[in-house]
Amino acid sequence: MIDGLFASANYQGVKKMLDATVLRQEAIASNLANIETPNYKRVDVAPAFATELSRAVAQGGVNNVQQLKPTVSVDQTAVAQNRDGNTVQLEKELTHLQKNMVAHHLQTQMITGTLSKLRSAIQTR
Amino acid sequence: MLSVNLLPGADSAASAIQAEKVRMEVISQNIANANTTSTPQGGPYQRQVVRFETVMKNQFDAANAVQQVQVAGIEADNRPHRLIYQPGHPDADPESGMVKFPNVSIHEEMADLISSSRATEANLAIIRTARQMAMQTLAIGKGN
Repeated sequence: MIDGLFASANYQGVKKMLDATVLRQEAIASNLANIETPNYKRVDVAPAFATELSRAVAQGGVNNVQQLKPTVSVDQTAVAQNRDGNTVQLEKELTHLQKNMVAHHLQTQMITGTLSKLRSAIQTR
Repeated sequence: MLSVNLLPGADSAASAIQAEKVRMEVISQNIANANTTSTPQGGPYQRQVVRFETVMKNQFDAANAVQQVQVAGIEADNRPHRLIYQPGHPDADPESGMVKFPNVSIHEEMADLISSSRATEANLAIIRTARQMAMQTLAIGKGN
């Protein structure tokens, strides 16, 4: 069926990255919302997702890529900066936010590129 | 909620802005009453503090444990009152001439006010970014 047109590991991989980017945006929002909450621990997209995704893309299996799902987990590496036990740092979160926005731009551009290549192949011009 | 989440993170940011608004109201109440020596409860004004707590947005999906924030309560600060010698004051102690002033420090309140305002700005940045991301997502496939 038409699904075959989009069955490249790269394209599916970018779609998964876009999912992860949107989830990270929610995680950053959660961190900034709780910047003053005592004992809050910052959350982020689980680091295992990136390694699993790159392995799946390297193997080239579209099904392997499609089965991946990014999840949010507590960031174990973050250390509390003061005695209230909160591990969120405003400037770091804002940097993550900007990086995430650039990543989102890149990923939407890559998806657009793939789609326009397909379109020009169909239209043969 | 079953609605499509077009603005990722906007719910958390909105909850935070709402909570910061309450905090700012309490700060302004503290500043307004910095010199109030008598209250309906008797005694001078007690400084109020806002306590924040996290709420799980989606308890059924622990893997996507995005959290919001809410005001858990507004509680009294139990530090001692400032004692100032003012024998002519109506609320002065008749024997010692000392007046109990509220335990509010203007400097502390101003610092809290700035931190509250910065937190609100950070959450507005989230909403701004989310909006840009949504516009980019809607532009997928355009412009070839």
